[in-house]
Amino acid sequence: MSKKYRMIHDENLCIGCQACSVACRSENNISDDVFRLQVRMETKGTFPDLKMNFRRQSCVMCEDAPCVTVCPTGSSFQTLDGIVHVDENTCVSCKYCVVACPYDARYMDPIIKAIDKCDFCSENRLAKGQLPACVSICPTDALVFGDMNDKDSEVYVKSNTHYTLFPKAHLGTKPKLAFVPNKKGVNYE
Amino acid sequence: MSKEVSRRDFLKISSGTAAVIGTSCSIPGTLGALGNKAIQGSDKFIRSYCEMCSSRCQIEGRVVDGKNVFIQGNKYVKSMGGSVCARGASGHSQLYDPQRIVSPLIRTGKRGEGKWREASWEEALDLVANKLGKIKEEFGAKSVLFSAKTGEHHGHMLTFANAFGSPNIFSHTSSCPVSYKIAFPHTTGSGMKRDFSKSKYILNFGHNLFEGISVSSTKKLAKTAASEKSKLVVLDPRFSIVASKADEWHPVKPGTDLAFVLSLIHVWLRDEKYDKKFVAESTIGIEELKASVSDATPEWQEKITGIKASVAENVADELYKAAPKCIIDWGHKTTTGFGEYQRTRAIIIANALMGNIEREGGIFFAKKAKTVNKLAGMNIAPDITNPDKHIKGSKTPRIDGAGEVGENIFVSRKHGVLMDIPEAVLAKKPYAIKGLFMIRHNPLITVADTEKMRKAMHEMDFIVSSDVYMSESAEMADVILPEATYLERDEGISNKSSKAPAYMIRNKIVEPINGTKWSGEIFRTLAKKLGIDSEYKWTTVNEFRTAQAKGNFELLKTLSVKGYASFGIPPVLAREPKYVQAFVDKYPGAADKVNAEGVFGLSKLKTPSGKIELFSQKVEDAFPGHGVPSTKHSTEVAHPGYPYILTSGKTAIHTNGHTQNVPYLNMLMSDNPLWVNPVTAKKEGIKHGDLIYLENETAKEKATVFVTEAIRPDTLFAYMGFGRTSSKLERTAGVGTSLSKLLPLVKGPVCSTMITNVGVKIVKV
Repeated sequence: MSKKYRMIHDENLCIGCQACSVACRSENNISDDVFRLQVRMETKGTFPDLKMNFRRQSCVMCEDAPCVTVCPTGSSFQTLDGIVHVDENTCVSCKYCVVACPYDARYMDPIIKAIDKCDFCSENRLAKGQLPACVSICPTDALVFGDMNDKDSEVYVKSNTHYTLFPKAHLGTKPKLAFVPNKKGVNYE
Repeated sequence: MSKEVSRRDFLKISSGTAAVIGTSCSIPGTLGALGNKAIQGSDKFIRSYCEMCSSRCQIEGRVVDGKNVFIQGNKYVKSMGGSVCARGASGHSQLYDPQRIVSPLIRTGKRGEGKWREASWEEALDLVANKLGKIKEEFGAKSVLFSAKTGEHHGHMLTFANAFGSPNIFSHTSSCPVSYKIAFPHTTGSGMKRDFSKSKYILNFGHNLFEGISVSSTKKLAKTAASEKSKLVVLDPRFSIVASKADEWHPVKPGTDLAFVLSLIHVWLRDEKYDKKFVAESTIGIEELKASVSDATPEWQEKITGIKASVAENVADELYKAAPKCIIDWGHKTTTGFGEYQRTRAIIIANALMGNIEREGGIFFAKKAKTVNKLAGMNIAPDITNPDKHIKGSKTPRIDGAGEVGENIFVSRKHGVLMDIPEAVLAKKPYAIKGLFMIRHNPLITVADTEKMRKAMHEMDFIVSSDVYMSESAEMADVILPEATYLERDEGISNKSSKAPAYMIRNKIVEPINGTKWSGEIFRTLAKKLGIDSEYKWTTVNEFRTAQAKGNFELLKTLSVKGYASFGIPPVLAREPKYVQAFVDKYPGAADKVNAEGVFGLSKLKTPSGKIELFSQKVEDAFPGHGVPSTKHSTEVAHPGYPYILTSGKTAIHTNGHTQNVPYLNMLMSDNPLWVNPVTAKKEGIKHGDLIYLENETAKEKATVFVTEAIRPDTLFAYMGFGRTSSKLERTAGVGTSLSKLLPLVKGPVCSTMITNVGVKIVKV
């Protein structure tokens, strides 16, 4: 059976420490001053009735991926396991995908001059049976990753025991990244 | 660029040193000036522990493709579970930073002018030994000061200073954790730990474990905070990350936490809702405490802290109901006003009243080898020793009088009071100071009134700095001895005991770049050159480790492979029946230590009475009126009377005055703008991004305004460690605000802590 990957970012466990971002940089040799991954923190409300949200800013790995559809050279492509990749050798840096991505997850690599983004550490870790670097390193275990077809997996269990949402679900891109929304702080909405 | 070079291939040739050298090529002694250096190290994981901050989390690292070092949490340590923080994961970014100093440097221009020439280690160490020898001959050993960040290098510095004969040994402690380091011995005899994972109710006074990260504690607190079965209450003037994870956040007026704790104690004693049996059996001074908090009503505290009386009533009630599975967290360095010592004492006392000592979900003493071996009636864990302990310190009076009758009587002579250095040096009282040796210490960023410290440094004849970077303090030196980073060092064994004994060790993950050296080698070599090494029992790190382990090669082998050693001993909480039972089941020899209630109970504590001292006669004798926390104790900050209180704190990205120039971390946070509430911004007529000055009697310092709801209107905040002046820290020089510059050289009573909450006014540019 093919894999059905999912990553869950639990906003209640996440402390915004950016260890994931640095682990990603270290593992994937990310160029200076660009990021495949960050956690963006946002304070909402009026003193002292406040709330802080922690949002993972990265590729959400859409099933219906607009970046793949718009790519004129086919260098943005999806493999059978649903992971979206960029072939830097055929990418002509037209940036259609950067514009098409509703999650602002793609950027121009300043050294290679090709588009880059998170690929769940597909080649360098998943292929070796390891978790993505961000998941493995997270100090508070706020990230869970695995195969939803495996009913014993941590990700399957978490999906079924926690209330999860998908970022910008209304767009219908069917992300593989889900999140457990923040429950703490004053509810300002 | 040609697409034929793939991104990954390109980075393979460019990562590390070559691609990012830039302007650093011209700075002598830097890694950038050396050009591309191959990385030598294992591609298999080596286990060690981190030093990007002082939490010292257990890590493992391996060299990838000869170009990169991938670092993660030590998988052999259950509580780490493969995790590290952003700083920990950035270790190799410091290691291969082209701006790092990797050759010894000798000053050629005026002091602080920044003119250097490279020297060999032999020449540099000879120069240091000769100068120190001459100063000792002419002015006495006491005229040389030694200072370090705490850690193994502090230990080697201490041994060297002892052999040299100077009593003037300092560490980072007085500028950071000194309050609890002194309040615990006064109250419970020794330091304690928190059982975050099993606690049902945690009252936190700004212990910001989500920004001042210590991975295993952070992980536990994060899970407890996220759980719906437990409650986290946070008092902090700003909406910190830990405040954002709280079930209740109370933006307390800076420095006034003591009043809130006293009111909790008042409520418990008023309603007789505390662990009376435990207090009767295990404490002394309840009557003195009752008298001292009789007027500490919730209404009284409201006027001081700004927190409603009903909140104090409620928190007191909820804590009592959750007890003993509750923690009143004393933190690390928090609430830094004149009330800091009494606040920490009051917090420890509050824990004792809840009877949570040595209970699950409460607080506990570390169980070292000696403790469990005594309980078990047999050797179940190996003990280690300090091979240098026979090299005793000088009895000569210190310049700060630490450990001597007077205001610093309770301060350790191994750590001293940094804030007392500048005035003593400038006034030459009690005697002249001629030399300064700093290792991994940057007081020109981390200690109060940096300008006065700079003046004091100008008075000295000879300054040595051992550092990884050209820090502001290193810039003032005559000789710089480049220290190997922690990834390049084999070092000794460290105690890591928690509810059961454990040790860790630092193992070298990569070979030292350009022959940089670890502190043990630097001090050991200098001792030999000065002819003061006759009492050293070791020469190499392996001899040092072997002596520490008392020749226990099995322990050494485990530590070398796993970086960590624990001994399968069940966790011990001496007052928790099920823990005691599990221990006795495994070690029947412990059965005779179990009392009628099925527990070990508290053994004799290291306080004068052997019990928990709610009232301390020892403190009362030295500081009349301070024997028990009371409503009379000050909750003022430094420079009171200004419109705003400037506070500072930690970020998860940087450590003290150390990491701001590390490339990976600088990319994530390159500045420390000043948090200003919108109400305050409006009142002052300033807006987001404006450049302003903060001013008080001590200094005037620039700051950039960051308007945020996440701070009290009467409070300002910035992360510490910025406002750097060393031009050799090219990424961070000239950026941000130095908070230490604005701090006067005042100290909190009893424990002589540096006070980091300070009054300021805002001045428009």
